[in-house]
Amino acid sequence: MDISESKDFIVSTSSLKEVRVFSREVFEKINIPQEQKDELVLAIAEAAQNIVKHGYKDIENTTDKMQIKISLKNNELEIGFFDKGKPVVPGNVQHRKLDDIKPGGLGTFFIKQIMDGAVFKKDQKGWVNHLVLSKKIN
Amino acid sequence: MTYKVTEEGNISTVFLNGEIDMDVTEQAKEVIFPLVDAGKEVHLNLKDVSYMDSSGISVLIESHQKALELNSKVVVKEVSKSVLKVIMMAKLEQILNLE
Repeated sequence: MDISESKDFIVSTSSLKEVRVFSREVFEKINIPQEQKDELVLAIAEAAQNIVKHGYKDIENTTDKMQIKISLKNNELEIGFFDKGKPVVPGNVQHRKLDDIKPGGLGTFFIKQIMDGAVFKKDQKGWVNHLVLSKKIN
Repeated sequence: MTYKVTEEGNISTVFLNGEIDMDVTEQAKEVIFPLVDAGKEVHLNLKDVSYMDSSGISVLIESHQKALELNSKVVVKEVSKSVLKVIMMAKLEQILNLE
């Protein structure tokens, strides 16, 4: 079954619940274990949170939107995140070290644990950043 | 997120309910941190927390570390299956006081 669904969200912490609702609705259509759906929702929510937290750091009450696109084709799940925040320097995106017990950096760590790939692409027509998370679905 | 706090001796138990994400972590901190700062042993009951992201996990870490600095402790109790999975993904099951 192929899927391609996208939705725009205001860049705000208050949108994160909406992001999860959208993701859960899309994954309802895919026949994978609930546990895996929960993990994927977490990865998506963490990536969206990174946009709010880092892409729009020190910017309050923006009306900018971010777009999330979930696609499934040939058992390859691809989740695109488009935003108009501060340009991301991929080399600066780091997760915490395992033995470093402190708040922060956990979101990216979770994304790396859950997904097979996380790549910033340069094809972001009209957007500033385009992150693609990918995972093979069995 | 909603919450309820009960007191018994020096133990304050915070019953958290719902989904804990970046949107509500400040609210969670406002409830938990003053109890920790007051030197209470704080029990966080997470049986009704259906979702927690890295922001929520950070609140658990900060609460735990604050308590350690004050020679007190934060105990995380009755963790729901979904939250336990996230705690384990963060490799914190040996760090936090889980009951």
